[in-house]
Amino acid sequence: MNPARRRIAITGMGAISAYGEGAGPLWRGMRDGVSAIRPLRHPFASQVRVKVAAQVPEGADAAKQLPESVLSLLDRSSRFALLAAGEAIAQAGLDFAADGLAGRTAVVIGTGVGGEGTHDEQARRLYAENATRLHPLTIVRMMPNAPAAQISMAHGLRGPAFGVVGACASSNHALAQAALLIRAGMADVAIAGGTESCLSFSSLRAWEAMRVLSDDTCRPFSRNRRGLVLGEGAGVFVLEAMEHAQARGAAPLAELAGVGMSADAGDIAAPDPAGASAAMTQAMADAGLAAGEIDYVNAHGTGTRANDRSETQAIHRAFGTHARRLLVSSTKSMHGHALGASGALELVAVLGALVEGVVPPTLNLDEADPECDLDYVPDIARECAVRAALSNSFAFGGLNAVLALKRA
Amino acid sequence: MNAPLSDEAIREQIFAIVARQSGVDPAALRPEATLKDLGVASLDAIELIFDLEEHFDITFPDDRADFDTDTMQQLVDAVHSALAARPDGTEAAA
Repeated sequence: MNPARRRIAITGMGAISAYGEGAGPLWRGMRDGVSAIRPLRHPFASQVRVKVAAQVPEGADAAKQLPESVLSLLDRSSRFALLAAGEAIAQAGLDFAADGLAGRTAVVIGTGVGGEGTHDEQARRLYAENATRLHPLTIVRMMPNAPAAQISMAHGLRGPAFGVVGACASSNHALAQAALLIRAGMADVAIAGGTESCLSFSSLRAWEAMRVLSDDTCRPFSRNRRGLVLGEGAGVFVLEAMEHAQARGAAPLAELAGVGMSADAGDIAAPDPAGASAAMTQAMADAGLAAGEIDYVNAHGTGTRANDRSETQAIHRAFGTHARRLLVSSTKSMHGHALGASGALELVAVLGALVEGVVPPTLNLDEADPECDLDYVPDIARECAVRAALSNSFAFGGLNAVLALKRA
Repeated sequence: MNAPLSDEAIREQIFAIVARQSGVDPAALRPEATLKDLGVASLDAIELIFDLEEHFDITFPDDRADFDTDTMQQLVDAVHSALAARPDGTEAAA
């Protein structure tokens, strides 16, 4: 690690999830071990095999909080991103109008598929209702860069702005790109995270066909695990050059100390522990952290047979004997797998653990699996003065992105 | 798919589909060979299951995760039970 390199503070966070609006309810839900997985709420629920999901509750209506003038421009995924960004920016207390900061602020938002709801709805008009015209805002709603564009427009941010796609690792890839922009001196502040809302009929059918969905709940690392539970939501953070945060007296939630990214370059779906461990090792090296300094790993932990076995092997490989001393938990057992937003929701868990000294648990770990032999913090949160933590995200395509966080 | 198929015909069709997916000569497929043995793993196995469902107009139950470890004989049996669970095709949507 280059000592002259800029350090990155996280000075704001916002989220919308199956717990509703706000990073607070999401963190408290995870910390208290309360699952937000519910019966699937969907017009086609009776036709699909999937029975459960972690959906943003109906009461959390983004439409009430966003100006009517922009609502017609927004897919559900952009609404989520705008709400989360607004919360994060308010917490950070930044004044973009001062000192040309707007021009020095980047926006980088990850998403797995972008405006899937919009696409599905318009496809239905076209193919099922034989409509001859589609909504004129279809393109600007569904493009995967829309969430980043909408945030830049809402807050007048004129620095680098773009979307990042990396399937289930999109959020972590986006946060990494944002951190690298700040390090490179291309921006002083970055609004970064991920958003996803893709529980359309066609998407549910597609996931069903892949046979990776659990029919009842998500049981990461448990021998009787049966697959993942789909979720949705958004998490957005304010990343800020440490010296910029210090100069204005802002109190960081944590330091984003390092990032690691790798590709398995093997199977399109089956994970390879070598790729995942390479990303973890790189994140620690980038952060200048030794394996023994990490106290907590927020696992990718999807609850599929393949991921949880492979991720356990990868953690052994990256941490050696220290693996047995780590606390490892999968909060997907509570907020579901929000795909392109999952790394961002999980960063809320990591920030909570660093700030409060409490590691959120893995729920539903009801049968030990000899192939998953780490301390997964079953059922109940664990008090631990977490010094540093990793947050793992691994995507289909074999694309891995890991963040290393340090207590501020 | 309306005319009832003989057991032999079902078996031949399954072997032909697996042979196509695995690139193994149908004559060389043994009943005890697993899909993994034949180099059909991960998503390839899921794709094969989809091909079988489409071909026979059946739906396999969702309670099994590891098709890779299925033998040819288990696949034949699974197709038979899925066909039996489909008196008029309504099972497919269940």
